[in-house]
Amino acid sequence: MLKVAAGDRRAFAWLFDRYHASVARFAFRFVGDRERAEELTQDIFVKLYRNAKAYQPTARFKTFLFRVATNHCLNEVRRGEYRVAHTSSEAPDGEETGGVEMAGPDGDRPDQALAGRELERAVGDALRSMSDRERAAFTMCRFEGMAYRDIAEALEASESAVKSLIHRATLAVARRIEELQAGTVPARSRG
Amino acid sequence: MSCHFEEDLTAYVDGELPAARRVEVEAHLGGCTGCRATEALLRHTVARVAELPDFVPSVNTRRAVLAKLDALPVPWWERLRTLLRPGVLVPSAGLAVAVGLALVVVGPGPEAPEELEDPAVMELAANLELVEDYELLGLDSPEDLEVVASLHELEVAQ
Repeated sequence: MLKVAAGDRRAFAWLFDRYHASVARFAFRFVGDRERAEELTQDIFVKLYRNAKAYQPTARFKTFLFRVATNHCLNEVRRGEYRVAHTSSEAPDGEETGGVEMAGPDGDRPDQALAGRELERAVGDALRSMSDRERAAFTMCRFEGMAYRDIAEALEASESAVKSLIHRATLAVARRIEELQAGTVPARSRG
Repeated sequence: MSCHFEEDLTAYVDGELPAARRVEVEAHLGGCTGCRATEALLRHTVARVAELPDFVPSVNTRRAVLAKLDALPVPWWERLRTLLRPGVLVPSAGLAVAVGLALVVVGPGPEAPEELEDPAVMELAANLELVEDYELLGLDSPEDLEVVASLHELEVAQ
């Protein structure tokens, strides 16, 4: 990162290759739309390049990156430029669901694929119903496997606050999955 | 879900509780049916979320980001720093010195030395040029020399 701050484009390309999938995954879960997630990812890396001098070597790079990513996504959503869409809850069955493909051998079986889409939809609905900070904390924890301490640093919050955010968010997802399994997911959400 | 241990259950499932608190929660779970049910629900949820497919960004993202970086305006201090790099500065300075020397030695500029304004010096230079023409052509008969001497007059007449 220090090389990036000195204008080294090759160092930046290396960082991009190493971390862009994580940032894109975070952005996708945050806004729920593939195209917007990719735009946000591009903007986040351009911002990272321009603000490389602000990086303190004492902070872990991934934490610094996710602080930039979280602030950018929160600002964009608050500005109203990006509505939290979660296409998984908007696309009818059988249509493209924001570019997420079911991987693995079972994903090709129709019943498994349908179950996967239902699960995606339930989690998407839960993410949309959360506060922005709950969604950010949940996404970093569940999809990036980040420790509470690092999430706290990225969100500029206490670990105790992050513990509450993740707990509430996980319970919200749990309720949606319970509804899905009980067959009580609202018709609108089931497409 | 009103038990005061409930708030710690997700952190417990995630392995994020300090050791002392983890021991307390484990002891509590042994006797609280509600918290055991919540813990099972949370574990099930975490496992289901892990089943979700990965989001794979487009391969065009890299190209788009690098294009955006190329389009960024270069600040003046960056441009100055580029010019002051030894790899650029040394050859540039050397070239400038060489050009300066060449102008001083070869080319009389608008402020030419005074001796070049002297008609006698100018005539001597013209004759030297004529002698060089003779040598170039390899002439030795008086008629040929006269033709060469009159070449300039022929050019003027044309």
